[in-house]
Order: sequence, then C-alpha cells, then structure tokens
Amino acid sequence: MKQILLITDGGSNVGESPVIAAAQAYAEGITVNVAGVIDEGTIGEYGATEIAEIARAGGGISQIVTSRQLSRTVQMMTRQTVAGSIRQAVSQELRQLFGVDNVGALPPPKRAEVVKVMEEMEETMSLSVALLIDASASMKPKLHAVEEAIRDLTLSLQARVGKSQVSVFHFPGDTQHSYCVMDAGWTSDASKVSSLFGRIRMRGTTPTGPALLQIVDFIRDTCGKISKTELMDTPLHVKRGESNEVRSDYVV
Amino acid sequence: MTTSSDRQPLPKGTEIRGKWNGKLYRLDRLLGRGSNGQVYLASSSTKAKFAVKLGIESAELQGEANILASLDHTEKGRSPFLLDVDDTVLEGKNVPFYVMKYIPGIPVKAYLRERGSHWIGVIGYRLLERLSQLHEAGWVFGDIKSDNVLVGEYGRVELVDYGGASSIGRSVRQFTEIYDRGYWSAGSRIADPAYDHFAVALLWLHALEGKRLIQLTKTLIPQNRHPRELMKIVRSNSRLLPLENWMEKALTGRFENTQDASKQWREAIRVSQKPKSPDDRVPAWMAGLLGAAIVISLSITAIWLLQ
Repeated sequence: MKQILLITDGGSNVGESPVIAAAQAYAEGITVNVAGVIDEGTIGEYGATEIAEIARAGGGISQIVTSRQLSRTVQMMTRQTVAGSIRQAVSQELRQLFGVDNVGALPPPKRAEVVKVMEEMEETMSLSVALLIDASASMKPKLHAVEEAIRDLTLSLQARVGKSQVSVFHFPGDTQHSYCVMDAGWTSDASKVSSLFGRIRMRGTTPTGPALLQIVDFIRDTCGKISKTELMDTPLHVKRGESNEVRSDYVV
Repeated sequence: MTTSSDRQPLPKGTEIRGKWNGKLYRLDRLLGRGSNGQVYLASSSTKAKFAVKLGIESAELQGEANILASLDHTEKGRSPFLLDVDDTVLEGKNVPFYVMKYIPGIPVKAYLRERGSHWIGVIGYRLLERLSQLHEAGWVFGDIKSDNVLVGEYGRVELVDYGGASSIGRSVRQFTEIYDRGYWSAGSRIADPAYDHFAVALLWLHALEGKRLIQLTKTLIPQNRHPRELMKIVRSNSRLLPLENWMEKALTGRFENTQDASKQWREAIRVSQKPKSPDDRVPAWMAGLLGAAIVISLSITAIWLLQ
C-alpha cells in the first residue's frame, strides 16, 4: 500500500490545484492524508476547506491539530488508512461470499474470523509512506514537531511484521524547476530520518499541487506500477461452517 | 472526526439487548472511556455484575474481543474474560459491544496516594507475577498505565483493557506516550516482555513522581529523551532509591525474563525493608543514657566555667 502524508499549515498559492493533484494520486492507487498544523490563530476557512478537500480527493483522511498532537495524529491517520483500505477490499469479498456489505453485518462468530484475517493483513502488508512537508515560512517554528512526528512514525512502522518504508520531502524547492526536494529516500531506519531540516531555506510560496504530483512521479518510478490487487496478497480464509458459539476455537 | 469522549455517557438504567444472542444488560455507570469506545458497569437480570464495552467500529471492537478470546484460550484455568459479543441498537444506530468480567478496584496511582507508597512492594510483586503468566502465554500487555492497573483489597492487582494486548513479536497494538519505550529512545515498539518491564518502571515514576515526570516530558527535547534522565528522578526519590538497580534494568531492558524481574523486585523490596545492619543499631536505653550523660557533663562544665 502507498500513502502520501501531507503536513501543512495553510492554503496553496502556486501552480495546479492540490485537490486535482490528490485526485490524480488516488487514481494511481496512492492514498493522500493531510495533517493541518496550527499553533496560534486559525488556519482560515480557505485553508481548512482545502485540507479537507485534498484528503477527500485523495481517498484519505484529514485532521487539523496543534504541533503537540502531531505525532499521535500522524500515527493514527496512517494506521486508519491501512485499516480502511483493508476493510474496503474485504467488504468486496464479503459481498461475494455472504452477500453482506460490511463486517458489522456478520454474526459475531463469523465476524471474529474475518477480523482475524483483516488484522493479519494490516500487520503484514507492505506499506510505503511518502511524507511531504510544507516548509513555507510560517511552518518554521513547527518543524521540530514535524521531525519528531516523522521519527515516531518510522519507529512504529519499524515494528510491523510487513515491509515498511518512509521517504521525506519538503516544498517549495530551491530552484524554479523543482517544486519539492527529497530529504530522505525510502528507508525503514528511524535513525536515518533525524535532523532532516537543518538547512532548509524558508520561502514564501506554497506550491502544494505541483509538489504532490512530483511525489506521485517519484512513487511510480521507485515502486513500479501500483497494482490494485496488491491488497489481496493474503487470501481470505473464512470458514463457511456454522458455529454459534461466541468464542470460536482458534489460536492467534 | 468524532471520538467517543465527545459523547455524553448514557443515562443510568439504559437497557441494551443483544441482537444475536438476545441477552439483556442494564447499564449502571460509566467506568471509563477510550479512543474507540466506552466501558460501563452493567448488571443482568440475575443481578450479576459485568463490564460492557460499547464500541463504534465493529471490526475494531471485534479485534479486541478476539484478543480476549485468545487469552481465555491460552490461559486456561482461570475464569474467562470474555462473556458475550453482540450488537445492539441505540438511538436508531447499530452499536457493537462485548461483555467482560467486572473487576473492581482503583487505579494504582490513586491507591498509593490513599494508602501510602509503602504498598508499592506488594503491588509491584503481584503485577510482575501477573505479567509473567501473560508473557509465558505469548502475550505482551503493552498499554500498562495507572488506569489499567487496578488494585483491590490489600494490594491485589488486576489488569484491565486486555483489548490492547499484542502477541509477542508483533507490533505493540496500543500504548500511552509517556510509558512508551520508543518515546524515551529506549528501544523498539515490537512487543516483547521487556516492553512491559519498561512501562512498569514508568508506572512507578508516574505514581510517585508524577509532576516531575510530566515536567520532564515538557522540557526535554526529543533527542534528549533517554533512560538516564529518568534515572535522575529515581535517585532523588527516597522510595525509589532502594529500587535503583531494578529500575535501571527495567528501563534498559536487561532482565532475562519476567520471572527474573519479579524475583529481583522481591529481593530489592526485602532489602529495603530490613534494618540497615545489626551492628549500627543502638538500643534506645543506651542512646538515652548517652544523651543524659552528655547533658549532665555539659551542664557541669558550664557551671564550672561560670565559677
């Protein structure tokens, strides 16, 4: 599974619409999540709407938080997105197998077995998260919190059984030809993602859309074509047998 | 996004009936709330008491119920944790829930405050013995914190919220930031027994030096979060000082296993309870006599000098 996590504090102001860029990413099988960070003041109605729209177009979730809550939020969003996409894939199977729309519609003993398979997938599926950090001038005081959130996320991903990797980018780029700059290529090592932003020159523009598209290219180039069937690596093993006990006999 | 904590607790007396198994429960009061649901004290028609967790997302709640079921399966010989899994309808909405054994008790931090910190020895020993059973069965509790460690009469310890437990070798399902080994740059978030040892050490720091611990999390920059900072607090607290060695091993993951951690805890506690050394002890009458002798000789000297 591929995700882009955008961390920003306001509206974009250069280039293509980030909503369209996120929709493109989603069309290519990449989910886009957005964390809006504000410490004092408000993000403004325009910024808040845009953040929600980017996530909706990108098939992901968005939340606006203070920098103290950022680590927790980033973790939660990444995890929920993985769980959400598995739920989606599983409900397709459920429709075929049992003619129900979601796990909640199954009787508890069957639900127990399906959820067991889902959690197995959550833990073992490979996961790549590209972090795109808004480094416009107003973000400067928040970059420490951002760095901490990235370190924290990497630590949690490292603990997964499945292959996990992160890469880190910030925007705007240094020249007019690059909208964003890579700070760390794919890695699963938490120590490789510390002190990333030491030398960033803060600038005023926020080319969120073009930067997003550049990341989509990067993911395509490094991870190959994204197949939609990847989710189903682990086949569903659902016993069809009737059992009405609450606690079915199995060992995790 | 709505979280369960935004919701008002359901009024006392609310009745919920399971859609699949048909059992009826009467909610009594809110016991606690987490990120994915609320736990109520409830009773059935037979007046038996239960803890009922009402969830939001059925897959997530079922995941927790599965863990309770597996624990019941691997730890045979005790009364089961999980009693019922079902759905009900509240205000027109489908609500998944599961029913557990009710465990009375108060959070360990409050217990130590009310009854005195000298209870830490017994409570710590019981906690480590419980964890030792759990670890032997292949599970790590993960989210050890004051609210999840309930103490009943005479320091009897029960863990609650097993829904956050993880099998050894998997990633830790649920944790609380300040108790987390990763947060303190002291290791990974892969579930192993040492993850729980670390959290137990933080539990004592939080219970006895809560203010300073919280202060530390606010002032330290992330790169400087390290067990050595926690050890500074340990060394400055008279109740924790005798446990210095134990705390250091727990914070740096150096116990062989939980049996070892429990054994060393017991030894450290026994040493701190014993009188320093028999030779140093002076009977009270002897000390009194010495004091009297000094007073008398001083006054005689004074009188002599004045003359």
